[in-house]
Amino acid sequence: MTTVERADSGVDTPTDDDTAWWTHLGQDDPAGHAAMASLHELLLRASRYQVWRLRDLLPGADAAQVDDLAQQAADDALVAVLRKLPTFEGRSRFTTWAFKFGILHAGVAVRSQAWRHREVPLPDTFPLVDPAPSPAAVSEAAQLSRAVHDAIATQLTPHQRRVVLALLVEDVPIDVLADRLGSSRNALYKALHDARQRLRQALIASGDLDAPSTRRTP
Amino acid sequence: MNDQNPTVSALTVASLLVDTEPYLSCDDCFERMDQYVERRLADRHHDDLEMTTHLAGCGVCAEEADALEALLREDAQ
Ligand SMILES: [Zn+2]
Repeated sequence: MTTVERADSGVDTPTDDDTAWWTHLGQDDPAGHAAMASLHELLLRASRYQVWRLRDLLPGADAAQVDDLAQQAADDALVAVLRKLPTFEGRSRFTTWAFKFGILHAGVAVRSQAWRHREVPLPDTFPLVDPAPSPAAVSEAAQLSRAVHDAIATQLTPHQRRVVLALLVEDVPIDVLADRLGSSRNALYKALHDARQRLRQALIASGDLDAPSTRRTP
Repeated sequence: MNDQNPTVSALTVASLLVDTEPYLSCDDCFERMDQYVERRLADRHHDDLEMTTHLAGCGVCAEEADALEALLREDAQ
């Protein structure tokens, strides 16, 4: 293995710890092997944290199964981190940067496991809103719901409709849906974004939604 | 879909109408997440319009950012 060149971002100065990671990871010597083991520990810490945080999604799993999932996620995260290592620019601490891979892979693993035997619903119609207690709220909510219902039926493509309803009405996680549809998280989020824009434009045009006030500047 | 109760909450209707402009992809959100979370921890008023907009409209990315922030908080103790 070769030592990775550090990209010069000119952003934040790396800490001593970051420099140590950077110097040793990828070296085929005892220090390199130790850095690799430490990295795996770090990723396991993040994946365990996230798996236990999402524990309620896995009601049938015992502690050993949950921990197995964390181990697997840490292994997957290690591969991802090593592949992405040349892109680390020191904009955050190395440990923070690595943690996010552990969290990502653990979340994907838990959601995938939770939905493994569940059918992913792909409805193409939008149900109307549940009536609220006060008559005024009922009519306002019902009117908005009806307008959204109509806009979903008339303004969206069949693909946008399926994506929006699965993600937001059926609460299918975006990575699970991407997996089932042979798509990607990015592609589904873009479809969702475009669909929301179309719905908003239609409802603003019909007077059912206020036009946005001036957005904050970054 | 649940045919016994074919209704949705006002919250769901609101989630359909979230304004996710300016657009940011999930990959770009992940790319920036470490720096964003660290800066939010250092200064709770720190803002990044593209990130906050994406996180308001993408449940899974928002959950990951929350998890990263919680882990860093725990780490700092
Ligand atoms: Zn996202």
